[in-house]
Amino acid sequence: MKSRWNLALLPGLVLTTALLVGSQMLFLGAAFHEDLGQGRSGAAFTLENFAALVSDEYYLRSLFLSVWLSLLATGLTLIVAFPVGYVLARMRGVWSNILLSAVVVSSFVTIVVKVLGLMLIFGSTGPINRMLLQAGLVTTPIPFLGTQSGVLLGLVYYTFSYAVLLSYSMVATVPRALEEAARVHGASDFGVMRQVLLPLCLPGLTAAALVLFNVDMGGFSSTALIGAGKVITLPVLIQRTVLLENDYGLGAALSALLLGVVLLINVAAGTVAARSRTTARLAT
Amino acid sequence: MIRRLVTALLLGTVFALLLAPLAVIAIGSLDNGAHAYIAIPPEHFGIASYLSIRPRFWVALRLSLLLGTVSAVAASLFAIPACLGLTRGSMPAKEFILVLLRAPLQIPALVLGVSFLEMYYTIGHWTGWYAQDSFTGLAIAHSFAVAPYVVGTLVSVLQRYDNSIEEAATILGASPMGTLWQITLPLLRPGLFAGALYAFATSFSEVPISIFLSGSHVTPFPVEIFNSLQFDFDPSVLAISTVITIISMVTVFAMQRLLGLQIFLNVGAAE
Repeated sequence: MKSRWNLALLPGLVLTTALLVGSQMLFLGAAFHEDLGQGRSGAAFTLENFAALVSDEYYLRSLFLSVWLSLLATGLTLIVAFPVGYVLARMRGVWSNILLSAVVVSSFVTIVVKVLGLMLIFGSTGPINRMLLQAGLVTTPIPFLGTQSGVLLGLVYYTFSYAVLLSYSMVATVPRALEEAARVHGASDFGVMRQVLLPLCLPGLTAAALVLFNVDMGGFSSTALIGAGKVITLPVLIQRTVLLENDYGLGAALSALLLGVVLLINVAAGTVAARSRTTARLAT
Repeated sequence: MIRRLVTALLLGTVFALLLAPLAVIAIGSLDNGAHAYIAIPPEHFGIASYLSIRPRFWVALRLSLLLGTVSAVAASLFAIPACLGLTRGSMPAKEFILVLLRAPLQIPALVLGVSFLEMYYTIGHWTGWYAQDSFTGLAIAHSFAVAPYVVGTLVSVLQRYDNSIEEAATILGASPMGTLWQITLPLLRPGLFAGALYAFATSFSEVPISIFLSGSHVTPFPVEIFNSLQFDFDPSVLAISTVITIISMVTVFAMQRLLGLQIFLNVGAAE
């Protein structure tokens, strides 16, 4: 009986492994060979593509910009989304349903459409800038396109709804009675948050932060549109290298760099989280 | 009392910000002016922009609906037996297998796009069949990328699964197949719907993979909008974007009526 269940696992496992290994091996291979266009590579092994990465500061600066913006976006998203998820999870009645629906609807609409909305709101002829100009608070419109803060805002909108849903399910696993008990024993709101809720949600928050960081590192549509050619993160650079310059070898090397950095950060964060959990267990 | 007021105020601000982009687009789409810029608030109300939506947007929208459906169904067809097999079988290194099944979520989407393009080129070079710029190529890549959402929800349901119901069915004389069809699958249904719907939504709004695999033959809806915003802006983009918002609202409302929204909360969240 058990072996029959093993058979059920096989098709999905084999297919996932084949697509995973196939796609990743081929593109990593392409990164180590000279590009001859359309997926054909030279026969000889070469480090030329990677040499190009290291020799030009431009590529590394773009990597640091990606990591920096993704870190900021992850932090900012969680700081706003976690309290919202908390309030929604603890709320009762019809409003909780309405607000949760709004979050799910917004998570269904593609980021490209949301970016269009952001451009209309914050653009130089948009309502915000017009109001500021009329009120005499600024003399020239505050730029949105082509700025890092605009790109950051785009990334926050990209992951916000998902972050609220993740936070909601985290808070929902913490029994309300625990918070009430802490309050009965004289804990303040802040005390409940810091001593009860956050420690219990910490593993979930770490996992959520990693997921959001990965998504931010890989997302490029909002950055490409809002960055408008002035904020060049690694994903934007990869898209340009592959689709506009048709340099697959260099594009593959840049993708390998992006993949390597993301995996490294994930493994490092996983190790730190595991160690702090062990220390916490030993301390109690 | 003051605390509730402050909470309501903060919550109101966040939701206003969250929905403002969609609201502004919907309002802007109602402007009838024959000009190339967007007037907010509209100068002349009307629905002209809805009547002049480019045919290619409708084509792209139909393609994306089909692509999302095919990807979600394909991902589910492989994920259901795989998750049952994983939780009930005797495979060694189950944790590692779960990591493997969820791996597409760890790889930045853009890297998946580049690597699938590279794979399709290589396969085409060997066999003469090029999968980029084809529906099949997009569907394979999307199914692979969204499968972890279905796997995540199913595994989290199966981990909390009560085996005694199945035992009762077997004792009462149900065949193994009968138990599977009449007990197991119906119990998995809410988790499956949530995972599959999230898989659909991800595919439906996906740009970083699609942009590498689309071309003159197939262009999914988000890529079409992306290209329009980047290269040639057309005011009817606002109208078609509002259509998308309305479709999403109707879908979510229907899901809420049929299954409740709680099912969306465990998407991709297996421990």
